[in-house]
Amino acid sequence: MTENGGGGPDVTQDLRVPWEEEPGDLYENAPCGYLTTLPDGTIVRVNRTFLAWSGYDRAELVGRRRFRDLLGAGDRIFYETHYAPLLAMQDGVHELALELICADGTQLPILVNAALGRDPAGLPRVVRTMIFKATDRRQYERELLTARRAAEASEKRVRALQQVVADLAAAPTAAEVAEAVIGAPAAAFGAAGSSVWLVDADSDQLIALAGSRPEAIEYPDIPLGSPNPVAEVARRGDLHVFGSIAEAEEHFPVLGEAMRPAGYRTAVMLPLTAGLAGEAIGAEVLGVLCFGFTEERELSDSELRVVRLLGHQVGQALDRARLYDAARRREARATFLAETTRSLEELQRLMPRARRLAERLVPEIAEWAAVRLQIGPAGLVADAGGPEPDPDRLAERTALVVANGKAEFAEPGAGLDCAVLPLSVGGKVLGTLALRSAAGRRTAEETAFLTDLADRAALALENARLYEQERAIARTLQRSLLAGDVPSDPRFAVETHYQAAAHDLEVGGDWFDAFLITPDKLAVVVGDVVGRGIDAATTMGQLRSAIRALASAEAGPARLLERLDRFVERVESARMATVAYAEVDLSTREMTYACAGHLPPLLAEPGGSPRYLLDGRSGALGSHAGRRTRIEHRTPLAAGTRVLLYTDGLIERRNRRIDAGFEMLARAYAGRRDAPLPGLTAGLAQSLVGREHGDDVCLLCLAIGTEDRLERSIGADPVQIALLRKDLRGWLLSHGLDEECTQAVLLAGSEAVANAIEHGYRNDPFGIVDVTATISEEAVEIRVTDRGDWQAAGADLSRGRGLQLIHQVMDDVTFDRTDGTTVTMRRSRGEAR
Amino acid sequence: MTDQWVTFAKVGDAAVVRLTGEIDLANAPAIGREIVRHTGRAGAVLIDLTAVSFLDSAGVRLLDSLVGDLDRNGTPIRLVVGESGPARMTLQLCAFRDDLLATNLRQAAEEVNR
Repeated sequence: MTENGGGGPDVTQDLRVPWEEEPGDLYENAPCGYLTTLPDGTIVRVNRTFLAWSGYDRAELVGRRRFRDLLGAGDRIFYETHYAPLLAMQDGVHELALELICADGTQLPILVNAALGRDPAGLPRVVRTMIFKATDRRQYERELLTARRAAEASEKRVRALQQVVADLAAAPTAAEVAEAVIGAPAAAFGAAGSSVWLVDADSDQLIALAGSRPEAIEYPDIPLGSPNPVAEVARRGDLHVFGSIAEAEEHFPVLGEAMRPAGYRTAVMLPLTAGLAGEAIGAEVLGVLCFGFTEERELSDSELRVVRLLGHQVGQALDRARLYDAARRREARATFLAETTRSLEELQRLMPRARRLAERLVPEIAEWAAVRLQIGPAGLVADAGGPEPDPDRLAERTALVVANGKAEFAEPGAGLDCAVLPLSVGGKVLGTLALRSAAGRRTAEETAFLTDLADRAALALENARLYEQERAIARTLQRSLLAGDVPSDPRFAVETHYQAAAHDLEVGGDWFDAFLITPDKLAVVVGDVVGRGIDAATTMGQLRSAIRALASAEAGPARLLERLDRFVERVESARMATVAYAEVDLSTREMTYACAGHLPPLLAEPGGSPRYLLDGRSGALGSHAGRRTRIEHRTPLAAGTRVLLYTDGLIERRNRRIDAGFEMLARAYAGRRDAPLPGLTAGLAQSLVGREHGDDVCLLCLAIGTEDRLERSIGADPVQIALLRKDLRGWLLSHGLDEECTQAVLLAGSEAVANAIEHGYRNDPFGIVDVTATISEEAVEIRVTDRGDWQAAGADLSRGRGLQLIHQVMDDVTFDRTDGTTVTMRRSRGEAR
Repeated sequence: MTDQWVTFAKVGDAAVVRLTGEIDLANAPAIGREIVRHTGRAGAVLIDLTAVSFLDSAGVRLLDSLVGDLDRNGTPIRLVVGESGPARMTLQLCAFRDDLLATNLRQAAEEVNR
């Protein structure tokens, strides 16, 4: 390598500067401070640069101060705990950042390097310290830190916002949107509290949906047109930020009053709009989000951007919720209408339907509802809920609606806060539906819903009214047809019972009839027309009349049925009707009977078991499939025989075989063989079907001839005495007993039975009293037996009067107390008494 | 519930009680309560038994206690029983005082107004 052979100077050698570097000058004026201290830190030498930076005189420092004396309090501790130990252990420290306290008290950021010099023995001798001014560097670090904190805050905001957006996506209602967003200002910006207001377009009000402070929920609704700051912001549609109470009061004097109790010194009021960012002007404001900070603070641009973004996100969620709400409400309303119609159809009668309608409306649709029907002079009313509105105003409005057939809705300030709708079908106003909506708001949607509801209700009520009308006609018709007095004669007695179906079913076509064809020929009928309602009742009336017209002394049951068949050819509704028909010759006591598709009569002879009369059977009237040849059957009847005719409601049950029904009837009938005829049919119906039966039941019992010996058993129930008396009276009269004598026997018999019940069976409501009566040309004898316990009887004066009466009206009275008590009473039939 | 056996009317300040049908152990107590309820403040009581088709000792007991109560209060009472019939028979058998019995309503009304 040649000297300067075309290359640069040799860099390994010091460049020679054009002037002499004097070492002292280099030390004193170096671009850094130098301090030389003893191991304990006492300054022994300091350069001019350090003195210039720190503002101290050399004399103030050298020999007088230690390096640590020039540091701030915190750094002094750091010096003792870290700096000095590091120096001692490592013989040096590097780039330690400290604050130097200058002579004027200001702080100067410095970086320090120091080296420890040792003597040959290795003991610390001197510390050389080099000090760099770090003002700029510190500034830079601080900025870095601030930037990092800002980035962190921004990230936190973004995270909070992301969380809110995620929550909003899953919030289907305005309330849930509010729930999702209420915590966002605290999470994103460190706000102290917030509240969410929803614009309710129906009522032009702002409604507090949620608040982070509990009292927020109790905020009253704010009319959209009011000067309230929340309403003002909703109207303006732009973001308001107030950095201090003073600033807030400058815009809205009342806002300061709201901020102070909450401890807010900064308030943000953010309109919630569905439009995109940037379209804020003119976008529909769906709500307002308010939040506050306890400190006075400015919001940075990036924060404001996030705030606006939040406003849009929430606005869009509210918009979605509004659509969901509308859809859900429509669906709920449709379901309600369908269920109401179905529920009304469960009831057939008018008032129950009207009542159910009113009950369904409260509280789901209305606080109070009244269905008023224009039926009868005063009208019929069914209402539910409350409180009721002013009756005069309601009557006024109701009259208006009835007159015009047009609905009147509640108008604000109209004085009557309820809607009245006409219940009309085909232009005829049946009544009105008045209600006070639970929501108290009127919208087009609500109006349409109520109109729909009133229309459906009107149809249901009109159907019920028609049903009711038809039912009333049918019942009246049926009653008038069944009411006719059955004939009576000492030679026979007829007992009937008609029991309408329980609940609100239509009338059936069951009927009974008994009439004398000639003075010696009795006809008895029980029949059943297919179907129910007014048609069945009318047809039943026609058939009943036809049978009365067609019955003749010569024809007999089979001929009568043949003629009825011809009648049915012309009266289609009578087709398939069933009839049990019997004629009894009262002089010969012979019965001829025929059954056209009807259940067989049940015959009970004195002392025998009941048996069904299974002959004389042919098909139902007008039947195509049944046997058309009408046949009849004759049977002699012993005196005292009873024949029971009945309709299928008595024995037929859906869940029971018909033969079981026959068996039950025969058993029940046998059990009452000795019961008085009066009350017998009602008793059978009671025990076989009860009151809660869904079908009509019709019974006719014919008792033929006069028993020579009357034998009856009755339960220990005072009500039974009258039935026995009726039976006994018929028996006595049929034997030609005179009135006075009859009265006497009835009184004595009644008193004896009453004694048996009141005393013999005073502890036994299930006791049985047997009554036997016999009659001869000379005398009547009646015997009353009970198996009760008569102890302490006779002490009762009132009963004594009964016994006294017996003795007075009867000639001969004997008591037998060997087995229970038997009273035998006898009275002669002679005139003279 | 007792309507089928008992109805009430007024003639001046006299209460008229019309009994119908059969009066016996089964219905006498209820009828008695009904009569007491309706005649409490009447100036006189006329009980029309002409339409009664049967009267037993329970009915007699009812009428007897009614007469006792009214006599104690000084309220005039008459039992209208017609010329004959089940009610007259039973009451006569029980030896009711002749001054209590009247044959028709007009006679009874005149008697109590005297």
